[in-house]
Amino acid sequence: MIKQLDSVSFAYLLKPENVFFLKGEFSRESAVGFLTEKIYPQLENVISGKMLSQKVAEVESSNQVLETGFYIPHAKFTEIGRFYMALGLLPSGFNDQASGLTVKAVMLLLSPNKPVFFQKHLNMLSKLSRIFQPAFIETLLSSSSPEAACAILHKAI
Amino acid sequence: MRPNKSKQVLLLSTAMLSFISFWKAASIILCDFGSSAYYAGGIAMKAFGPAFPWYIMGVMLFAGLMLGVYTESCTMFVRGGVYVVVKEAMGKVMAKLSVSALIFDYLLTGPISSVTAGLYLASLLENLLPLMNIDWQMPSRTFAVFFAALVTVYFWRENIRGVEESADNNLRIIGFVTVVAVILMVWAGVTLYIRGFSLPPLRPQFSQEALGWTVNFPWLKTVGIIGIVMAFGHSILALSGIETLAQVYREIEDPKVENLKKAVKTIFIFSILFTGVLTFVSALIIPADLIAGKYSDNLLSGLAFELSGPYWARLAMQSAVVLSGALMLVGAVNTSFVGSNGVLNRVAEDGILHDWFRHLHHKYGTTHRITNIIAITQILIIFISGGDVFLLGEAYAFGVLWSLTFNTASMIILRFKKNDEKRDWMFPCNLKVDNVYVPVGLTVVLMILLAATGMNMLTKKIATIAGVLFTMTFFIIFHISEKLNQTKAQFYAPDADAEEKLNLRREADISSIIPELKKPRCVLIPARNPNNLLHLKTVLETVEDANTDIIVLNAKIARGIATGQEAMGEEDKELFRAVVLMAEKYGKTVKPLLVFSNDPFYSIAQVAQTIGVDEIVMGVSGSTGAETQLEKLAMAWGMLKRSEGAAKIVTARVIWEGRQMSYQLS
Repeated sequence: MIKQLDSVSFAYLLKPENVFFLKGEFSRESAVGFLTEKIYPQLENVISGKMLSQKVAEVESSNQVLETGFYIPHAKFTEIGRFYMALGLLPSGFNDQASGLTVKAVMLLLSPNKPVFFQKHLNMLSKLSRIFQPAFIETLLSSSSPEAACAILHKAI
Repeated sequence: MRPNKSKQVLLLSTAMLSFISFWKAASIILCDFGSSAYYAGGIAMKAFGPAFPWYIMGVMLFAGLMLGVYTESCTMFVRGGVYVVVKEAMGKVMAKLSVSALIFDYLLTGPISSVTAGLYLASLLENLLPLMNIDWQMPSRTFAVFFAALVTVYFWRENIRGVEESADNNLRIIGFVTVVAVILMVWAGVTLYIRGFSLPPLRPQFSQEALGWTVNFPWLKTVGIIGIVMAFGHSILALSGIETLAQVYREIEDPKVENLKKAVKTIFIFSILFTGVLTFVSALIIPADLIAGKYSDNLLSGLAFELSGPYWARLAMQSAVVLSGALMLVGAVNTSFVGSNGVLNRVAEDGILHDWFRHLHHKYGTTHRITNIIAITQILIIFISGGDVFLLGEAYAFGVLWSLTFNTASMIILRFKKNDEKRDWMFPCNLKVDNVYVPVGLTVVLMILLAATGMNMLTKKIATIAGVLFTMTFFIIFHISEKLNQTKAQFYAPDADAEEKLNLRREADISSIIPELKKPRCVLIPARNPNNLLHLKTVLETVEDANTDIIVLNAKIARGIATGQEAMGEEDKELFRAVVLMAEKYGKTVKPLLVFSNDPFYSIAQVAQTIGVDEIVMGVSGSTGAETQLEKLAMAWGMLKRSEGAAKIVTARVIWEGRQMSYQLS
């Protein structure tokens, strides 16, 4: 039996340099692609860009946008030893074809693929889903900069 | 951002499956099985004279063996009964024959019980009304016929309206009957002490009527073993109602097999004391000429009236006996409606009864045509019998014996046919040869049954003629129905009503079921595939029914906007049937729910949070895998959770063969 009961703590993971305002036209794929590209420099010593894109795209195919209009593309890698996050805020949003929902916030989450991290991984998904309610996303979108958005997020968490 | 309304969960239906204690199960069976105490002795006396109490006691002891046969068959088939067991062992043709005999048994249960109740009431009125200066002139049989017809009409109406038999009522009736029986026994003991007694003769003296066709076979002497078998055959109707055990087993609560054994022991002890001992005591206290005459139709009423004591006390005792008897016998009339309806619906599921019979009542949704046929047939039988219980009893034994014989023979065959199947309980006296437990004990039981069946065919002219006619009629109906259904199946899609009706209830939202969840713990079990219920099995095997509510949730994917008129599909029915069967097997209560949503994980999280479950147990999905399932649930859980709060810990588990993964939802 695998039993994982660790608590979650991820506020420190999201720094202003990982928060992006995606202005202009975006689709689900391009938004995820943008964040993958931006997060890659932090991982380039451990995994290849191709591997990162492939894995994210693989998980993407079965992933769903949440009812709240928040989207969490996520993937697990055995090669990494900690969590990585990148937040994309889309003032214009994009329409998700699969669900018909308008998405204004995308959080890319990369987790270590080890049993000991799985509980934390799930806690992160749960906590992000709870925090990113429509009103909170609007607050983030109205913030002036990544630093301000990060401050709002840290306060919420 | 537009909220997707189609994802709002709509609770469409619920189907509560509840289970009963062994006391209640025993009381349901005894209301049918035990009721024969009121007429079996009188009928046997009329057939072979004062030796009858020995044979009634013998039949009650034999009932212990038959209960053993049924215990083994019940543990093998949760939804058993003669039809299922015989079909499994001997095939469909023999199953149709056996169930035809059983229907004959059920059709006669109503008339013999209601007529007997009428005769008991008439005997009481004969004593009571003169005290009130009322001139009572109506012959008791005429009164019994009209009373029986009224009772039948009453239960016909109740069954058309779908009023369910309450196990609580059965328990109250048996409780009252037990109290009356104990008083009667103690008083009878005192009477015997005062008056003294002599034991009845062992040798039966058959009436000409009871010899039937055997008078044409001079070599068949009514002495020795043949005489014993003949007398046994005339007493065997005291076994009627034992088949109810197979019908009730599915409702017995966890631990199912243990409770079945307890119910069987209770039934056996009650039958020995109530039917066996009271019949015996009656023969010791009531003079033989009165049993043959005045009390032939109301033996226990006669026992009460012939006790030692003041007139008013005996009259009060007689009133109590008649009241308890009437309640038990009238209950048996309802059992005959419910039983025959249940058996006919069971065979209909197997496609051997034409859909015409199963047409649902436009208002009450009951199988009114079957109920009408049962009622009309029973009323006809009542009027044809003219209130003669002996006549009814003669015919009654046919269905009882044949269904028991088929059942026992099938259990023997299954020992060889399903020798690899582990039995939770096995009828004793077996010889282990290789992998087969050769059923010596069962074979002895079958030999006794065959002897009695064969002899009854010769001695009971009415039973043989009427029984064969009825059985063949039903067999032909089943056969033609089967052929028609086969033809129909080639042209039409399967009938939506062809399976068991699920108890559907449309609710506005999930919160409406919260008041129904009264146990300290609650487990939510999402399920979609009837072939992937290992997680449900694991929960049923481990949780305590007394302290855990089990909710099985089918989160059905529905695209588009919810209309509130979504219906169950075939796959949903199949799933619920599998869930109900599994719950029946373990005797644990489950509450199956169907919700429509375009995100099953959203539904699971919403139902779990609304109800406040303690645990969510999922089966592994072959397409996504356990980790992805937990990820999706975690996201849905978080999205729906409005605040951190001091919420209780909810465990999510995914179970698959040999493994499980647990996670605490935050």
